[in-house]
Amino acid sequence: MVNVEALATCLSSSACIVNQLSSGLIIGMLLFLVASGVTLIFGVLHVINFAHGTFYMIGAYTAYTIYTVTGSYFLAAAGGALGAAIIGVLFERFIISRVYGENILMQLLVCYAFILIVDDLVKIIWGAQYLAMGVPDVFRMPPLRIAGGFVPPFYVFLVAVAVVILFGSVLLIAKTRFGKIVRAAAHNQTMVSVLGIRVPLYFALLFGFGCALAGVAGALAAPVRSLTPGMGVGILIESFIVTVIGGMGSITGAFLAALLLGLVRSIGSIGFPLFVDGAMFAIMAIILIVRPQGLLGQGEVR
Amino acid sequence: MTYRTFGRPTRRTVLRGAAAGAAVLAAPAILRAQGSTIRIGMPTILSGRVAILGQSSEAAAQLAVSEANEAGGIDGRMLELVVRDSAGKPDQATKVTRDLVNTEGCSVILDAEASGGSFAVNETVRDIKVYCIHTNSETSELTAAPKNQVEWVFRCARQGIHDAVGGGLYAANLSKEKGLTRWGTCSPDYAYGRSNTAEFMEYTKRFAPEIEVVVESWPKIFQPDYTENITALLNSAPQALYSCLWGGDLVAFFDQASLYGLFDQFETVAVNLGDYPVLEAIKALPTGIHSGSRYSSTVPDTEANRTWNDTYRAHSPVLPTNWAWQTYSGIKFMVEALKATGGDTDASKLAEATRGMTIDSPFGVNGTLTLRESDHTLIDYPVGYGLTLPEPPYIKNFQMTAWDEILKYEAEWKERNGYA
Amino acid sequence: MRTLASFWRDIAIAIVALAVLVYVGIAAETPWTRDFLTSLFAYGLLAMSLNLLIGTTGLVSFGHAAFFALGGYAFGLLLQSSGFLATFGPGAVPVAFVLAVAITAVWALVVGLICARLSEIYFAFLTLAFQMFLYSVVLSWVGLTGGDQGLMGGIPRPVFLGIDLSDPIHRFVFCAAVFVVSILVLRVVTASPFGYTLRLIRDNPRRAAFLGINVLRAKVISFVLAGSVASVGGIILALFTSGAYPEWMYWSQSGQAIFMIMLGGINQFFGPLLGAVLLRFLNDMVLAYTEYTELATGVAILLVVLGLRRGILDFVVDLVRNRRERTQQSEASASLKRGPDVSPDNKAATLETVTPRA
Repeated sequence: MVNVEALATCLSSSACIVNQLSSGLIIGMLLFLVASGVTLIFGVLHVINFAHGTFYMIGAYTAYTIYTVTGSYFLAAAGGALGAAIIGVLFERFIISRVYGENILMQLLVCYAFILIVDDLVKIIWGAQYLAMGVPDVFRMPPLRIAGGFVPPFYVFLVAVAVVILFGSVLLIAKTRFGKIVRAAAHNQTMVSVLGIRVPLYFALLFGFGCALAGVAGALAAPVRSLTPGMGVGILIESFIVTVIGGMGSITGAFLAALLLGLVRSIGSIGFPLFVDGAMFAIMAIILIVRPQGLLGQGEVR
Repeated sequence: MTYRTFGRPTRRTVLRGAAAGAAVLAAPAILRAQGSTIRIGMPTILSGRVAILGQSSEAAAQLAVSEANEAGGIDGRMLELVVRDSAGKPDQATKVTRDLVNTEGCSVILDAEASGGSFAVNETVRDIKVYCIHTNSETSELTAAPKNQVEWVFRCARQGIHDAVGGGLYAANLSKEKGLTRWGTCSPDYAYGRSNTAEFMEYTKRFAPEIEVVVESWPKIFQPDYTENITALLNSAPQALYSCLWGGDLVAFFDQASLYGLFDQFETVAVNLGDYPVLEAIKALPTGIHSGSRYSSTVPDTEANRTWNDTYRAHSPVLPTNWAWQTYSGIKFMVEALKATGGDTDASKLAEATRGMTIDSPFGVNGTLTLRESDHTLIDYPVGYGLTLPEPPYIKNFQMTAWDEILKYEAEWKERNGYA
Repeated sequence: MRTLASFWRDIAIAIVALAVLVYVGIAAETPWTRDFLTSLFAYGLLAMSLNLLIGTTGLVSFGHAAFFALGGYAFGLLLQSSGFLATFGPGAVPVAFVLAVAITAVWALVVGLICARLSEIYFAFLTLAFQMFLYSVVLSWVGLTGGDQGLMGGIPRPVFLGIDLSDPIHRFVFCAAVFVVSILVLRVVTASPFGYTLRLIRDNPRRAAFLGINVLRAKVISFVLAGSVASVGGIILALFTSGAYPEWMYWSQSGQAIFMIMLGGINQFFGPLLGAVLLRFLNDMVLAYTEYTELATGVAILLVVLGLRRGILDFVVDLVRNRRERTQQSEASASLKRGPDVSPDNKAATLETVTPRA
């Protein structure tokens, strides 16, 4: 099953190494953006947002429409994030907040219902056909040549945005007043509300922020991936794998795990092309058996 | 959506009546109330990522049904189309097909499923002995392999082996002309993608033995990101690429591959590119990609085909597709068979009438399509390749493969596989 | 503790239920009734067996459909092998049936041993990972499983003991009998002392451990039992569709089983079965009235989950119980004047025990 020869050939060529490492990075970073929202929401609110892929889709479709109307990709990306954040806050207020503290099955079911509803709404608004936004003119240029390998400038931009967001969200949670309040509220909600802080508002905002991360990912992916109703499901599953491997609640863990999966995909497509998906689930299973809390996760798991 | 309002009773009203019956477990009441209309059950894919293909099939089938009804139906008996969504899942297709026959009183089945579902429908209609025409599955084995053949089942769709012969002849010429010896492939990793790609390369090598396949890449179906596959292709630096990706996957692959300048580096042959929803969705479609025939108003370049294209578009907001012309033609065959039996829906009688039937059609290369007697499958539809243009009509220099060539190699392929 | 009498009562009920099912199936004017019931047998067993884990043991498995599908695949593959058919001749179907359940049980034992140590979310994800792993294997191993097209060419069903499973009536009666027996097995397990042990583990695993119960072993036994019963459901579906398809082990299939349980009711033995019936009707009705099936299904789920906050059968049972208690309480308050014989927090205690938990 493993094609050792192809792997060896690849590893002996600098072009191949550049190509595969960069593609692993690109795949990993979009995955990270979605997974970071899942892990952030779980870490603070202790609720699993099984509908997170939907916000990726909302981000992509919103960006598509804004781009078609205004022609500005940067407006589109910001709009994608904002659109996902707004729907996310509404989803939190009207649906998810009603199942806080409930068992995981209730959370699963309301999210499942939300996925179904939004998928059909997207079909009603944008139609069932696949849409493509196309790469913005700014990035329409030949790929960079690095040590014989190819790296498209658009992907350089994409990775840069992801890294900025990684540092931004870590700082937001660790250093800002907002981050301190939500962390405190997650720990002891009553105590924080006694201080006169409107905890539900902060929870909704945090949820919205997590969704905005998925929205950005969708907006960044929209130029190169085709948009279809239901596009959120695939990325949802992969982002859960990332979240579990990295450790539920750890943003840095999600970053490492996303990178790991990206590399497994890109190296795997040379070494074991037919078992790339199986390998991802196998890694997740191994992590759960050996270190259930994930690479950087904490907490009781047994 | 407006296109559902033509044809006689709409799908909605038929289904509503059926559901009311089903809800009280009074299925037989529906059968008695059926009267003299003939119901055609149509399982297809209306949700998920290939919904657009199912929608175009539904629109085309409705068009054909309403044309038949306007022309007086079957000796005055009207036709009704009952469409059900299987979401493309084989087990769901089985269930839906059984329900269409048992609950909704459909007496014939027009199977507008993709390959996975059509194999399931094939077993179901074998089991319950109902006349059926498959209109969208291109997998050769569906009608070529004796174990899948059913006396009362036909296929009115392209067949993989026909496209493989046509593609092989075209690609071999291309290789010789431009000196392309190193080929790569990038096709979806499931039954259709594997057999289609294997057959294409087999015939290309056969007509141009000097070529070799240096890299194969197998993305999963509906995979959103092809970066890993694109870089894998780049690393092996082939001179030409074959892909049978389709629909939204093909669109995403083109957009992502353009970022890497893939199409500047080698010749690309994409059998499923030539369908309107794909051609219109790809932004900045590169010029000069070798595109197979799916549906085009200019292939065949006849008045009848252009008229059909206009009529269809006037009826449906969904673009015409390969599935649309196939399903439309499936209904046409079915109507002719029903006329021949005087409206009798007995599976064996309809099968007798359908075997070897030829109809006039805007899609036939010589103005006719035939359901071949020996293996119940469609011949004389357009097979070949053209070059892409960034603007409508999107395809130029279409080279049609001659059917006597196709039939010659197909016969030999059957022999080799023990199908003949 | 249950008496032997209630055990015999369950068997009597099972015999009557089987008789009714067989009568309804044979007397039906169209195949629709038989088709409907047969698919209900299959999905009903999937949901009922999953509820042995979720409702009784408190193990939330997201990967239960793997065992359902494995049963179907193993059964189909054995019967499609000509060597197997030649070896066992007319006994091929029963042998394949037993072997398919056994193979699934072994796989469930392996998965159970690995997963049962983990707590809720991690248990759920690991079971899902094993399911999706199996799914990837089935998709990739095209030579054996037919990949995405499933088992093609039909499943041979040689006649045994005069039973011809290619005959629709024979097949229906056979499936009904297998279904009723499987339900009876589940019933006996949940009502047995072992069933009480499982509920104790669900409610308070620490206390169970203090009482000297081997919690891990009990969980694994429950997991293997549930997996085996699910595989019987898969076998019924394989017989019915004359094939086996990878969708059966896709994550959405497990999700659907969970939905059936939550819809029907998690605390009532027949809740999941009611859920399976309701879901089927919901699908059929929705399909008939709108093309936006997902939208309508989603709204229906939200209404049940957020409106009732429990399954329909749970809701009804709670309603009846509350009403009865209210009358009892009014009687009690009347008798309070005569003497205090009812504890005031009686009602609260009852409510707590019926809250769904997993």
